[in-house]
Amino acid sequence: MASNQANLPGDLQDQLVAGHQSPLGVTQTTTVALPGFITQSGFKFEAVEVNYQTLGTLAPARDNAILICHGLSGNAHVAGTNAQTGRPGWWDFHVGPGKAIDTDKFFVIATNALGGCNGTTGPGSINPHTGSPFGADFPRVTIGDMVQLQAKLLDHLGIETLFAVVGASMGGMQALAWAVDFPGRLRVCVPIATCTAHNAMQIAFNEIGRCAIVTDPDWNGGNYSEARFPAHGLAVARMVGHVTYLSELAMARKFGRRRQSEAADARQFSIESYLHHQGNSFVKRFDPNSYLCLTRAIDEFDLFEGAAAEEILGRVRARFLVISFTSDWLYPPAQSRELVRLLKRAGLAASYINLDSEYGHDSFLIENPPFADVLRHFLNGEHGLKAPKPATLAGGGNLK
Amino acid sequence: MNPGVYETVEQWIPPKSRVLDLGTGDGAFLERLIRTRQISGEGVEKDAALVTRCMERGLVVHQGDISDGLDQHADGAFDFVLLLGTFQELVQPAEIVHEAFRVGRQVIISFSNFGHYRVRLQLLFRGRTPVTPSLPAPWFRTRNLHFLSVADFEWFCRDSGIREIRRAFFNRKSAVHYFPNLRAETAVCLLSSNGQPKA
Repeated sequence: MASNQANLPGDLQDQLVAGHQSPLGVTQTTTVALPGFITQSGFKFEAVEVNYQTLGTLAPARDNAILICHGLSGNAHVAGTNAQTGRPGWWDFHVGPGKAIDTDKFFVIATNALGGCNGTTGPGSINPHTGSPFGADFPRVTIGDMVQLQAKLLDHLGIETLFAVVGASMGGMQALAWAVDFPGRLRVCVPIATCTAHNAMQIAFNEIGRCAIVTDPDWNGGNYSEARFPAHGLAVARMVGHVTYLSELAMARKFGRRRQSEAADARQFSIESYLHHQGNSFVKRFDPNSYLCLTRAIDEFDLFEGAAAEEILGRVRARFLVISFTSDWLYPPAQSRELVRLLKRAGLAASYINLDSEYGHDSFLIENPPFADVLRHFLNGEHGLKAPKPATLAGGGNLK
Repeated sequence: MNPGVYETVEQWIPPKSRVLDLGTGDGAFLERLIRTRQISGEGVEKDAALVTRCMERGLVVHQGDISDGLDQHADGAFDFVLLLGTFQELVQPAEIVHEAFRVGRQVIISFSNFGHYRVRLQLLFRGRTPVTPSLPAPWFRTRNLHFLSVADFEWFCRDSGIREIRRAFFNRKSAVHYFPNLRAETAVCLLSSNGQPKA
């Protein structure tokens, strides 16, 4: 990155932030093959590999496990330095000893989502029936499938109940799906900068990205090779995505009309250069088929699927913290407020905060002390309540 | 505010009630009600830093203004809706109270009494908007939008079809029993709607 951007907030996923060192040192992820997995669409995997990371220690009472769900382009490496890339995990700002999600206190589990491309089975994985990658033949997966697979991993790890499921963006959808699909397996649900179903604008931006990929000359119906890889299309998809993760104000502050270089033959705007950099670095770590698979899953997600919200939420038992950011125009606060309204009207305990932040959807990825404070105090406050005590706070469905 | 206000409200709320506290601040009083009265309750607060303090206490809290906080809830979701100390700051107090009676069975409101003798004397002798210990900010800095007295509040209740079930009055030092409109700095009222049809 250009040095004039070093003092501005950044995320650890797509740019190295000057001076950031993970207090966790080097951390690893593990891959486990779980046998027999059937998707909602009915596709049968003989085995599915799940890449995951755990941090901290599971308490003897087994009441301190937090599952963290990543967004579209995240992975299982949530915190600590990745030995292969030398980069800190994507949420190293907020996960670690003494951080908002305190690994001295909580046992953190993070998985790479089904359909992804960072160790969990996805379109880039080998199809055992053909011996070559699934590519475009990879089955449709849903947010619900991702959550089912996470539940299977927890079974494998011997964890019956989670203290919390925390996720932002696509991860927030997973958190919501957890609350609905496994009501007895979590105490607290923290959906961040997310919604119960994409609106037309959110689908539209994803479709532009998908279009860029499938119209790349090297797309080849999804059966591309490393030599002929639809890098251009994927880069453009990421560029569009990245714009939606920022805000007008953040872009004006960060780039304005500055030029990357004053040389007369290279008077590119800084924002152009930044987007090209984002696109090109994304191509090195992401698979185009995964991009299609995951954005489809996000677009298809509908927590209520046409049913009445009260009916779906009637079975939920978790207590919620919903977080949105004032400048997030991709997942506008109104969507979070509507979610809270539905939760409350279903008699659930739901706290809500709309944090004043100028960094758009990316506000959860960057170093953001007010956000960290909210997360820390909520998790500590809820954990301090100990086992569910329906008599003390508005828990359960007794607020009708 | 006189701590007697909180003690009074605490006594008015029966154990295990469902309570919505509008303008809950750092959540100290809500937490106290949960502890002493075993209520189930939640707060609404505008200030993000105070919302964070509520979370630290393990409270359910909604960040937003009072009408947004009320709008989140179904009809009759609470036994009591509390509006302690913020009533004179509301842009549209009548609408808020109406909405509070949609969400709650009873409403408890406290407010600063503009009919207090010190206020009257300042207005009479200095001819200026009073600054008193209970109304400490000058008019251009106060968050109070309405300057109402105990008598004004009675008028409001009559006009809105609201019954004052219980009332208590305080000055800075103690409870006030006689001539509250002259002697009380703070009033707190437990209100019930006259069962008027919901608009």
